[in-house]
Amino acid sequence: MFNSGTIYSNFTPLVKAPVIGYRISGDDVLNILKKITKKNFSKDHSLIRVVKIYQKDESILDECSVVYFKSPKSFTGEDVCEIFLHGSPLIASQFEQLLKDLKVPDLRLAKNGEFSYRSVLNSKNSLKQAKAINGIISNESFSGLEYNKKLLFEGDIVSGLVPLREEVINLFSEITASIDFVDDEDFNFSQIKRKIRKFFTNCNNLLHKNRTNIEQKNICKIMLVGPVNVGKSTLFNKIIDKDRAIVTNIKGTTRDILSNEFIISSNRFEIFDTAGQRSKQGKIEKYGYKKAQKISREIDHFFVLIDQNTKKSDISTIIKDFMIHSNYSLIETKSDIYKYKTENIKINHSLERDKIYQKLKLSSIHQKYVKNKHKMIDLNLEEIDFLARILEYEPDIVKEKDILIIAQLMRNILDDFSFEFGYINNEDIYDRVFSKFCIGK
Amino acid sequence: MEHYDVVVIGAGHAGVEAANISEKYGLKTALITKNYSDLGKLSCNPSVGGVGKTHIASEVDILGGIICKIGDKSAIHYRVLNLSKGPAVWGVRAQIDRDLYSQNMKKYIKSSKIDLIEDEATNILEKNNKIIGVELSNIGKIKSKAVILTTGTFLNGKIYFGNESQEAGRIGNSSSKVLAKFINKNFKTMRLKTGTPPRIYAKSINYDVLEPQTSENNGIFLSYFTKQNTNKKINCFITKTNNKTHKIIRDNLNKSAMYSGIIKSQGVRYCPSIEDKITKFGDRNGHNIFLEPEGLNSDLVYPNGISNSLDKKIQLKFLRSIKGLEECEVDQFGYAVEYDSVDPRELKNNFETKKIENFYLAGQINGTTGYEEAAGQGIYAAIHAAIKIKKIKFSKKVFERDNSYIGVLVDDLTKLGVTEPYRMFTSRAENRLKLRTDNSYERFSDVINTKIFDNLEYNLITKNIKNEKSILKKLSLLKYTPNDLMKKNIKVKKDGKIRNGFEVLKFLEPTVNTFKKFYKLNINQKLLTKIYFDSKYEVFYDRERKSFQQLHKNKNMNLSNVNFNKIPSLSKEILEKLNKYKPTNLYDAGKISGVTPSALFQIIKHRKTKGSKVA
Repeated sequence: MFNSGTIYSNFTPLVKAPVIGYRISGDDVLNILKKITKKNFSKDHSLIRVVKIYQKDESILDECSVVYFKSPKSFTGEDVCEIFLHGSPLIASQFEQLLKDLKVPDLRLAKNGEFSYRSVLNSKNSLKQAKAINGIISNESFSGLEYNKKLLFEGDIVSGLVPLREEVINLFSEITASIDFVDDEDFNFSQIKRKIRKFFTNCNNLLHKNRTNIEQKNICKIMLVGPVNVGKSTLFNKIIDKDRAIVTNIKGTTRDILSNEFIISSNRFEIFDTAGQRSKQGKIEKYGYKKAQKISREIDHFFVLIDQNTKKSDISTIIKDFMIHSNYSLIETKSDIYKYKTENIKINHSLERDKIYQKLKLSSIHQKYVKNKHKMIDLNLEEIDFLARILEYEPDIVKEKDILIIAQLMRNILDDFSFEFGYINNEDIYDRVFSKFCIGK
Repeated sequence: MEHYDVVVIGAGHAGVEAANISEKYGLKTALITKNYSDLGKLSCNPSVGGVGKTHIASEVDILGGIICKIGDKSAIHYRVLNLSKGPAVWGVRAQIDRDLYSQNMKKYIKSSKIDLIEDEATNILEKNNKIIGVELSNIGKIKSKAVILTTGTFLNGKIYFGNESQEAGRIGNSSSKVLAKFINKNFKTMRLKTGTPPRIYAKSINYDVLEPQTSENNGIFLSYFTKQNTNKKINCFITKTNNKTHKIIRDNLNKSAMYSGIIKSQGVRYCPSIEDKITKFGDRNGHNIFLEPEGLNSDLVYPNGISNSLDKKIQLKFLRSIKGLEECEVDQFGYAVEYDSVDPRELKNNFETKKIENFYLAGQINGTTGYEEAAGQGIYAAIHAAIKIKKIKFSKKVFERDNSYIGVLVDDLTKLGVTEPYRMFTSRAENRLKLRTDNSYERFSDVINTKIFDNLEYNLITKNIKNEKSILKKLSLLKYTPNDLMKKNIKVKKDGKIRNGFEVLKFLEPTVNTFKKFYKLNINQKLLTKIYFDSKYEVFYDRERKSFQQLHKNKNMNLSNVNFNKIPSLSKEILEKLNKYKPTNLYDAGKISGVTPSALFQIIKHRKTKGSKVA
């Protein structure tokens, strides 16, 4: 989505005003400052300096205040400077031209939200806090503003349920409008009911996703896949260090699916062995293969095992069958038997177990996927309980035909959100109603 | 010199209700109006009722008020909004013949014992912050124990057409400057804005191309006591603005008082001028306009939906771009009104000002909008004046927030104040399922008496209540097991629970025939609908009751260790108050003004779920 490099952008509108501000962030900030002001800022962290900015022909572009923030003590965590030009759009355009003319490699105009994005990447802000910044800027009600401020300044109370809170406010606003302002717009009851069902589906999804994540949050799931008789079970046994899978030389020995947990230097893994893929499968094997495909959705990383008999088309079939994206590594097995040069990881079954772990790069895989998973877990246990409570309303609301009863129950949900995630009052609802619908005569 | 119990200044909807109820409760009452012909004038739209508004009006009706009765007498078109939803949100709306309404109102006031005085009130007389009387322009001073001020938009009223402006509360009426001085000196005021559309000559409208809206005839009226309406009924018509209209308005926004920056005060979000609609919702293909005739013999039509403050020439131009109005002629152009209103937080809970004893404010002067909202406040203020001055027996409980819309309105106004003209919506009431127009007699049964109703009316109410009680009694004696119900094709849980007739009612079709077949009892449709929904909503009433019981049970809950700041659901205002007064238990917390029951629930919930951690 975003690339590296040094980025710049105006942070005030480009209109006639007392000042127009620019922010630059990235490795080249000091270099750029030196070029345009002929001054060294490296020791001036968070000090305001008034300096002249020079054009290419040495003429003065502007005299202005400049603040430099040294990495990591800046908004983005990178080197950052903020430049306050005199508020003329013409000066601003000259300034942008100057930056372009510097020909600093990788210096470019920032994309929307890129500063915030970098602050998240560099752990200066959590994703929720970055959202809260946006919330503060774009919020139009005071209660919403206070809530987002709380999110930003007390980061830890930020909840992944905030989008649901928004959804419930919108939904309740529409229900309210459809009752009190029936004359003003065309409201469609079945559409409202659809939105209510959607809301509960979203709750359910979030709850489900988080439950599985919480339960397994430290487990990295890997799966061995590959053509028959390539040595999956041999590797499986080697990894778990147990003679659990039956290993023979007859093709298609592993008929069902086996799994086992193991721990390497306090990293937890669950590994799945699968039946091999071959064109003619017995019934049981087919069942095993299907089952493995089903599980594959939960897998974080695949080891695709191949040997020198494996054709390219076999590999692509496997990748397609198991819906593998980029999360796999190709493993050449039996490299003690067949020896030739490729870039793939080579496994020799006579290798020590620890050596195999190393070769498979298990610890970096674990780090990568468990970290990703952590990002997905937005909810703590209390929030999960909360969601479960909200979902208790679902059956009553979904079957109800009386919009007034629906409104009453939705009001309870709204109050619950209000209780847990920040005050929502009638005025907030009316604000939403009157901005979304043309009410009144 | 005359010596009154109550003097009501202003004879709009708040004023006449105040004077009427005060007189009925036996107080010597004067009603002062600058202009006799303006008595009970419908200054804006020619209709009464609608969702939320009917709710207040029906409460005024059952408290002995007149807006519904006179409304029904003068109605020439009825509609019930939200009929497909439950009766809790039904909104009867009646188109009113302006002249008939005025005539009926005058006739009524004249036949009462109210002293109607045509004069201008120039000053409020007080001594040691207590009312002693009123000074009138011609008559001079008159004494009174209480004064109820209901001057609507007349305080420093200023009206605008485009760049033109003149001082007036309503077109043709001068505004009350002297009185305004008194109010501004003593109370915190704010400037609000409202608007009205042009009035069009009926003969100049081409109705042939427009879609008519006929009057409905389903026996639902504004007043509990109305049995029929024999007036001739008229049609309303619907037309729409179009892109051409929008372009004309957009191109001339600089000729709108609101948009050119002349008017700076706060308008309403929900009653937007056509300029607003086009600026905010310009992507729409058209905005509906309801053409509402002003009366049977009137040659004027009120085009509901296009209030504006544009230059007169532009108004005519955009009107003539609309289907059916191509050749229209205008009698009175639309305009915006700016006026002073008092911050309603200057009022005590009984609508008496905090600063001056026995001085009451009611109606639009308190920052509200709408005839019904005004009427509700008029009757409320006068009843409280009567309680105070004459010590009449009256159970104030009927005005609790969970029992009436008037209660909701009073609570909202005096506790929260307003930032824009306040209009009633049913969603403002937490207890909406209970606050219905079809059960106001039940909610107000404690205060129904022979003083406020004539014999016929009183007998009708008591007879109906008796009838309802007897039917409910019979229903409660009927018992059904789940098996009995299965046999009658009613699906219930096989829980072995025996249900009585009332509890079973919600499973039936609410028609008279079904009822008769099932229970072998006779009932009229109106009552059946009412008790059917009572049966259906009982579980919610029950929940509400339980939560109030919970509140009662927890009133001694110790709060000394609670950090209120940790309760995210408390509003800032409530939080400030709790931190300021530091209540030691829940009961004390509830006594702090502005701390709502819902806030108390949040505290209980917080204390119970997280309480142990916060100490």
